[in-house]
Amino acid sequence: MIAFVRLAVFGFIGMTAAYFLLSVYSRSVERERLEREWDDDPVSGDDPAARDAYIEAGLQDYRKSLRRKLIWLVYVIPTVIVLLLVYLNDT
Amino acid sequence: MKYAKWTILTLLALIVFGFFHYTLPQHDIVRIVNTYQERQDLDDWTRIFWATPDDQATGLINRDVQFIQAVDADGDPRVYRNEDTGWHWPPYFKFDTANLQTEAEDLKSTSAAPQWVSVTHYGWRNVYFSTFPNAVGIKPVAGPDVTIIPWVNIVILTFLAFILFMLRRMWLQFRERMIDPVIEDVEEAWDSVDAQADQATAKARGIWGRFRAWLGTWKSKPRR
Repeated sequence: MIAFVRLAVFGFIGMTAAYFLLSVYSRSVERERLEREWDDDPVSGDDPAARDAYIEAGLQDYRKSLRRKLIWLVYVIPTVIVLLLVYLNDT
Repeated sequence: MKYAKWTILTLLALIVFGFFHYTLPQHDIVRIVNTYQERQDLDDWTRIFWATPDDQATGLINRDVQFIQAVDADGDPRVYRNEDTGWHWPPYFKFDTANLQTEAEDLKSTSAAPQWVSVTHYGWRNVYFSTFPNAVGIKPVAGPDVTIIPWVNIVILTFLAFILFMLRRMWLQFRERMIDPVIEDVEEAWDSVDAQADQATAKARGIWGRFRAWLGTWKSKPRR
């Protein structure tokens, strides 16, 4: 039982670290994409405020996007795999 | 220095390879000849080669372990231990030791009428330290020459390579977005500090400074 608790606790810590890293990375890539998009074709010239607003709006959209929600799979997939292994290895 | 570097790198590669070779599942095509149970002392360093069942008291220094004896196609003996890994490392989540022992017992065969089985196992057999691979699964197969594609290993190693690749991508992204701009800022700041310093020295010289500099021009130049 103690071993199970240990697996659950360390597994949760590991998955949380992976979730954190992935979400930071994904947002950073998205922001870079938005910056490039603006710099390639500025909608309203060289106005830094407009650029910031454009990027901010893009990140708002990203917050509601499917890709961001898919990062939750970092928690789901390992848990499902462990349950599958427990089932498959013992039948 | 070169030798030290290569020694360390080789050692690291060996440790990584050894870790995976011990932990990942392998398949043996064997014929099971017998099963037995033997009391094992678990009080020396070879303890790390035995499992830690959940119901084992921490102070226990010996206990019964089940074994499966087999012979491969060449006639070489293969002996497996049969222990629960439970929730411990390595993550096989094996709780069905008694069932596996029963299956092994059921699949026993003689050399006259051989029943070949594929035994999935991890771990190392070492006769000097009395270590045994742990059997995790037994499956009857058609003959001693069947090929078994190690799908589990392919998936696990591919996934680990993917994780390494992603970590590298993350690091590169972090460096590009967070560290490089800071370095550029520092360089710019340093340049402006340099320029300011030049201005400041020029200012501080003032009239008196210029006079001294002019006086200095009368001094004899250092001999070359």
